[in-house]
Amino acid sequence: MKLKTLALAALATTLMAGSAMAQTAIKIGVLNDRSGTYADLSGEGSVVAARMAVEDFGAADKGIDVEIVSADHQNKPDVASNIARQWYDQDGVDVIVDVPTSSAALAVNEINREKGKIFLNSGAASTDLTGTACAPGTIHWTYDTYALANGTGKAMVDAGYKDWFFLTADYAFGHSLEENTTKVVTESGGTVVGSVRHPFPGTDFSSFLLQAQSSGADVIGLANAGGDTVNSIKQASEFGITQSGQALAGLLIFITDVHALGLETAQGLVLTEAFYWDLNDDTRAWSERFSAEMGGSKPTMVHAGVYSSVLHYLNAVEATGGKDTEALMAWMKENPSEDPVMGTGTVRADGRHMHDMYLFQVKTPAESTGPWDYYKLLATIPAEEAFRPLEEGGCPLVE
Amino acid sequence: MSEAMAMTEPATAPFLSVRDLEGWYDESHVLHGVDFDVNAGEVVTLLGRNGAGKTTTLRAIMGTLAKRRGSVRFNGRELIDLPPRAIARAGIAFCPEERGIFSSLSVEENLMLPPTVSQGGLSREDVLAMFPNLKERLSSQGTKLSGGEQQMLAIARILRTGAKFLLLDEPTEGLAPVIVQQIGRTLSELKSRGFTIVLVEQNFRFAASIADRHYVVEQGRVIDMIPNEELEANIGKLHAYLGV
Amino acid sequence: MFELLGIPPQALFGQLLLGLINGSFYALLSLGLAVIFGLLNIINFSHGAQYMMGAFVAWMLMTYAGINYWWALLLVPIIVGASGVVIERLMISRLYHLDHLYGLLLTFGLALIIQGLFRNRFGVSGLPYAIPAELTGAQNLGFMFLPNYRGWVVVASVVVCFGTWFAIERTRLGACLRAATENPTLVGAFGINVPRMITLTYGFGVGLAAFAGVLAAPIYSVNPNMGADLIIVVFAVVVIGGMGSILGAIVTGFGLGIVEGLTKVFYPEGSAVVIFVIMALVLLVKPAGLFGRTA
Ligand SMILES: Nc1ncnc2c1ncn2[C@@H]1O[C@H](COP(=O)(O)OP(=O)(O)OP(=O)(O)O)[C@@H](O)[C@H]1O
Ligand SMILES: [Mg+2]
Repeated sequence: MKLKTLALAALATTLMAGSAMAQTAIKIGVLNDRSGTYADLSGEGSVVAARMAVEDFGAADKGIDVEIVSADHQNKPDVASNIARQWYDQDGVDVIVDVPTSSAALAVNEINREKGKIFLNSGAASTDLTGTACAPGTIHWTYDTYALANGTGKAMVDAGYKDWFFLTADYAFGHSLEENTTKVVTESGGTVVGSVRHPFPGTDFSSFLLQAQSSGADVIGLANAGGDTVNSIKQASEFGITQSGQALAGLLIFITDVHALGLETAQGLVLTEAFYWDLNDDTRAWSERFSAEMGGSKPTMVHAGVYSSVLHYLNAVEATGGKDTEALMAWMKENPSEDPVMGTGTVRADGRHMHDMYLFQVKTPAESTGPWDYYKLLATIPAEEAFRPLEEGGCPLVE
Repeated sequence: MSEAMAMTEPATAPFLSVRDLEGWYDESHVLHGVDFDVNAGEVVTLLGRNGAGKTTTLRAIMGTLAKRRGSVRFNGRELIDLPPRAIARAGIAFCPEERGIFSSLSVEENLMLPPTVSQGGLSREDVLAMFPNLKERLSSQGTKLSGGEQQMLAIARILRTGAKFLLLDEPTEGLAPVIVQQIGRTLSELKSRGFTIVLVEQNFRFAASIADRHYVVEQGRVIDMIPNEELEANIGKLHAYLGV
Repeated sequence: MFELLGIPPQALFGQLLLGLINGSFYALLSLGLAVIFGLLNIINFSHGAQYMMGAFVAWMLMTYAGINYWWALLLVPIIVGASGVVIERLMISRLYHLDHLYGLLLTFGLALIIQGLFRNRFGVSGLPYAIPAELTGAQNLGFMFLPNYRGWVVVASVVVCFGTWFAIERTRLGACLRAATENPTLVGAFGINVPRMITLTYGFGVGLAAFAGVLAAPIYSVNPNMGADLIIVVFAVVVIGGMGSILGAIVTGFGLGIVEGLTKVFYPEGSAVVIFVIMALVLLVKPAGLFGRTA
């Protein structure tokens, strides 16, 4: 009896192994914040974006069997590491995508290096992912602190906002954003007159804003993110800081933040993004599909990046006919990425996905024609200008 | 016991009639079938040694003893299944052994706390006339009063409610003789005003000065009833009961 | 450029005032907690979630029913308070005979559920709620630019705190409440309906949290996590003031708002922890809290 069961089990295993060989099976793990500050800009929307990429790629017709799993890392590096390990060791996940929150992304990056797998980061900001911490299997797809600082910082100084005061979230991400922006500002001919570090997360920023105000700076650089940025901007408007002529520079603002602020408060903000739903017919059509699944919300650049990166990855799987990390990475770096959402791009040796960035300004309520009509395009920043030059990053993969 | 009971069976139903009253503190069975009657206008005492179950009997009547069984008929109504607030509303007022003066309330607030349950209670002025000491201390914190004053306050506050049936648990305990006398005079006056009183007492000399009848409680039962006029004759028996 | 004591007195006034504004929220929230703890003897861990509900219900009334801020200020505490009444009747009231820990766990679980539901429905980015037209604009006080709405927050909070204090310390109803806090059995034996009083007290405490939520809606972002972030600080305020002390909750709420405000000027990095440092010190020196009665 027992013997018979065993024999059957063995037979079944052989059969299953056989069918798996005939068809490539891919398991994509979407790891991000599903409940906290970044849940709206990543969260379920990233899962939807990944699924759309699988559909548009036509995986089913090409004999590639794709499964998508997702988990909440709660923005905690230890939680993120544990999930990544479990996915690779037990659940057979082939590739992890998204992972906002720099500390969590860096933690997953290390697990990934150790396991020799592929990591397509869309959500995190830290330039370390393509700098000192760069890894053979990692691609940083959508944006980074350098691109944000460079886009917004340079644009503001060029527009005459020369004296800066930073309101900085007191943790790694905030510090690095402040540092990056300081560099850009001084290089463009501006000066930094002061900065104050606020607890993360915070609720009341008025005290810090008044300090910024009395510094007499032309512009207050908000080196924070999510709810902190939203509240800083709201309160700046409330305390008459923006009205009195001081400008705000949001260094990491997503369209979901602008939505939360409302145009009345957010109008006039200058910000840098990799994507906007209303750029062209392709982005509009894609965003329409996304909205239909997400209760009307428009996609963020993080969602767009997840879509774009998953599509590029699946193309690589099709082209190489397998799941070998080295072969896939080689293909992805040799061939340009091309999709209706983020247009064309290339993946650099250090894992930086190079594509154009956009400088936007938030519309006034009068300029806006309806919900989610929020941005005016000020400038397109070519990929080569937008991102940190390859040799400055200190990535060991680059000889 | 049974003959004692028989003697108290009047033509009209008693004001309060307690039958087979049992009571528990969690698992510990404390009352084992208490029987006694109180007629309207009477002052009746419950005498007994420490731990006999006198306080528990009052709590069982008042409903503050969670686990109880038997019958408590009051003014023609069965109370055994009612919550304390309904029993209070039925017209029984309770002055606990530990007096229960609230420290976060002023004397005035303590006095005015119990709500009116029926017409015909004493007015605030009547009460203050009866306890002139309280009048000067109305704004003091309740527990800043002396022991005697606290006891007076505990009695005073339940006279306002309109309840005509009072349960007083050892009102003279630990008080100076002059205060005990004052409380004695007060109770006599209350009796003359038509209040019915059940008085728990250790001090049977004090009890004898105002009560009509005495019930003796032992180990959770009423074991004897002695009319006040027969107290002298039964003094030896009583000493034995009380172990003095 | 903001070296210690290098601050002009005018800037200092400004910061004191800002501290007072934050203190208004601490005071309202810790007051609600203190009222609930006093009578129910449970630490209401859902308080932050109920504050958040206050902000959201105001937003919903505005968005779905066009009910303005002023009506929301009145209606929201009643609506959210009523939800508290239901919670007390259906759940909390079953735990009074058990250890306090159970009440704490229940309300903590409820907070997680409530926050999860709102997160599911509304996301986490937050929703905009406009400052009512009557209170837009600001006053130039010379030493600072005080938004009218912030001034209103302080006034509303002081009035509600004082009103609550008065109702509890100076009225007959408050006397019943205080008495029931000390000895509920005896108060019941006087004919007062203590269970109903407990239910309504919980509802009132929750209503206070909701009121604070409505006040907060126009200035902080209306998002499901807004209470979770704030409530930890408020617990510290309650501990410093003395569990269950009404006056303690109010005075420490405003006081610590000011202390925290000053820390933001002199040592911004420490502003997140200063209240907890004070809490630790107070617990060492006076474990019952500044206004608490030692047991
Ligand atoms: N809260 C309680 N929990 C458990 N047992 C109790 C409690 N209160 C009283 N008892 C017990 O119940 C019994 C009756 O106590 P009760 O207080 O009724 O006596 P008493 O006749 O009033 O005595 P005393 O003259 O000392 O007041 C005693 O054995 C006592 O130990
Ligand atoms: Mg007793």
